[in-house]
Amino acid sequence: MIDSSLSSLGAKVVVAASSDENHPPENIIDGNTKTFWMSTGMFPQEFIIRFAEPKKISAVTVDSYNVKHLKIEKNTSQNASQFESVTEKEFEHTEGHLQSNAISLNGSSATHLRFIITTGYDHFVSVHRVNVQN
Amino acid sequence: MVKLRARCLLAGDAAVGKSALSHMFHSDGTLFQKNYSMTTGVELLMKCVNIPETNDSVELYIIDSAGKETLVEACEKMWGELSLLCLVFDLTSEQSFANCSGWMERVRAHCQGLQVPGVLVGNKSDLSARREVQASVAQEWAQSQGLEYHETSAREMENCDAPLLSLARAFHSLYQERRETIQNLSPG
Ligand SMILES: Nc1nc2c(ncn2[C@@H]2O[C@H](COP(=O)(O)OP(=O)(O)OP(=O)(O)O)[C@@H](O)[C@H]2O)c(=O)[nH]1
Ligand SMILES: [Mg+2]
Repeated sequence: MIDSSLSSLGAKVVVAASSDENHPPENIIDGNTKTFWMSTGMFPQEFIIRFAEPKKISAVTVDSYNVKHLKIEKNTSQNASQFESVTEKEFEHTEGHLQSNAISLNGSSATHLRFIITTGYDHFVSVHRVNVQN
Repeated sequence: MVKLRARCLLAGDAAVGKSALSHMFHSDGTLFQKNYSMTTGVELLMKCVNIPETNDSVELYIIDSAGKETLVEACEKMWGELSLLCLVFDLTSEQSFANCSGWMERVRAHCQGLQVPGVLVGNKSDLSARREVQASVAQEWAQSQGLEYHETSAREMENCDAPLLSLARAFHSLYQERRETIQNLSPG
C-alpha cells in the first residue's frame, strides 16, 4: 500500500484523555499497527486529531482493540473546540487480533476529528492506527 | 510512568460503615464520624494511590453509594461504568452478610459481563463481643465469588487502607496483563 501515515502528512494528536508514556497518542497516526495508544482506565476516552490543513474526508479507518462504541465529531476551526457530531459506530468484539473498521464520513470537510470511545469490551482499550481517505 | 484511573463502587447494606471507611481512607485516618448520618445518594471521593516498587499510580474515584434499600435503584443510575468493587458488611450483623449475595447480583448485572476485581470487607472488627459472622465463613464465601477478604475497623483505624490498596494493585496488574496481550495481537 502507498497509504502514507497521517503524521507524515503533518497531522497531530492534540488531545488524549489518558496515556502511558510507553504508548503515547502519537502512535495512533504513525501508520504502524504494531505501535498503539492505550487507555488507562474509565470511560469515556477521547483523542483529537488535527490536520495540517482543512481536509475533505470520505472515510476513516480505525485499527483498535476492545473498543465497543465510538463516536466521531469534527470541526472546521483552528481550535480544538466546538465540535459537531458526524457519526457513531458499534464495533464487533475480536479475540487475538485487531478490530479493523472503516467508517464513512461522506466527504465532510474538517480540520479536527474528535474520537470518543464511550464504552469498551474491557477496562482498557487500544488504538493502533487511524487513517483517512480523501 | 503510568497513571491509571478506576471507578470503585462501595456497596453494602445501610449502616455497615461504607462512608466511615471511605472517609478514613480519604483523610488518611483522621476522621471518624461516630454519629450515623445516612448517605442518601452517591458521594464521590478521589484518592491517588502509588503502586509500590513502580513509578505508577492509580487514581481511585470512590463511589460511596447509599445502602438503604429504597434508595439503591436511584443510586445505581449514578454508578457509571465500574472498574472495581468494594463490598462491605457489618461483622456484628449476620443479615448484612447474607445480603451480600444480592449486592453481588446487582453489581454483576450492572457490569454486563465486564470482569470487575473486587474485595469483601467485614467492618466493625472492634465490636468483637457482638460478632455474628466468623472470619472463616466470610472468607469462604468471598473466595467462591472471586473476592479478596479483609476485616477492618473504621473506628479503631484498623486495616482501613488495605482493601482499597489491594484493589488499586489488582487494577494495576490487570493493566499490565492487558498491555501484554495487546502487544502480542496480530493485525486485523
Ligand atoms: N464500632 C464501630 N462503628 C462503626 C465502624 N464503622 C462505622 N461505624 C458506625 O456505624 C454507623 C454507620 O456508618 P456509616 O459509615 O454511615 O454507614 P454506611 O454504610 O455509609 O451507611 P449508609 O450510608 O446508610 O449506606 C455510624 O454510626 C458509624 O459511626 C466501626 O468500624 N466500628
Ligand atoms: Mg454512607
